[in-house]
Amino acid sequence: MAAAALRPAILRRIRLSPSPSFSQPFAAAAAAAASHPHALARWLSRPMSSHDAHLTREEVVDRVLDVLKSHPKVDLSKVNPDAHFEKDLGLDSLDTVEVVMAIEEEFKLEIPDREADKIDSLPLAIEYVSNHPMAA
Amino acid sequence: MASRTKLSGIQRQVLSLYRGFLRTARLKAPEERRRIETVVSAEFHENARNVDHRNFVYIEYLLRRGKRQLEQLKNPDITGLSTLEVNK
Repeated sequence: MAAAALRPAILRRIRLSPSPSFSQPFAAAAAAAASHPHALARWLSRPMSSHDAHLTREEVVDRVLDVLKSHPKVDLSKVNPDAHFEKDLGLDSLDTVEVVMAIEEEFKLEIPDREADKIDSLPLAIEYVSNHPMAA
Repeated sequence: MASRTKLSGIQRQVLSLYRGFLRTARLKAPEERRRIETVVSAEFHENARNVDHRNFVYIEYLLRRGKRQLEQLKNPDITGLSTLEVNK
């Protein structure tokens, strides 16, 4: 059970460099995957696991809450998964930009402006990250 | 889906510029990044506090100036920025 959960976590961290001793198709995949380690991890884990490689909602919630709590202007007592950045946490729109960028860094994402402009609350942030296939 | 009141065009431009500065700061060395973030955050917040939100002419001037400064900052040869305080 633990091993199955460990497998994708380990695979995520493997980096392969293409080697001439590999057969052609694998070398091509490895070459492509060397620059995209996550893609290789998913390619290897796909036949075996269901959604192990993806984050659980609980993990997303915890990590997003931590990001909010680390922002200097946030009122810690008000932080909860339903909070609105400006209405509940006392942030302004510039702070919201900072928060969304901190979330990008936490989950290794880049959020385009038109999507980022819509994220103004914890529920929206959590939903965006949970639905993002590349969130790590 | 958006729970916020719709941002005006000019608000979106300001936030986009702010985001641009923060993204560019990420690419610099950690200490410089922190300094850029401090300076930029202070300046944007100060202007948000002091400038009349209806003063479109001035806001657009600030946006143009900010975009020029951002372009300069993006130059990889530029290692950071600093401000001068003038005693009036």
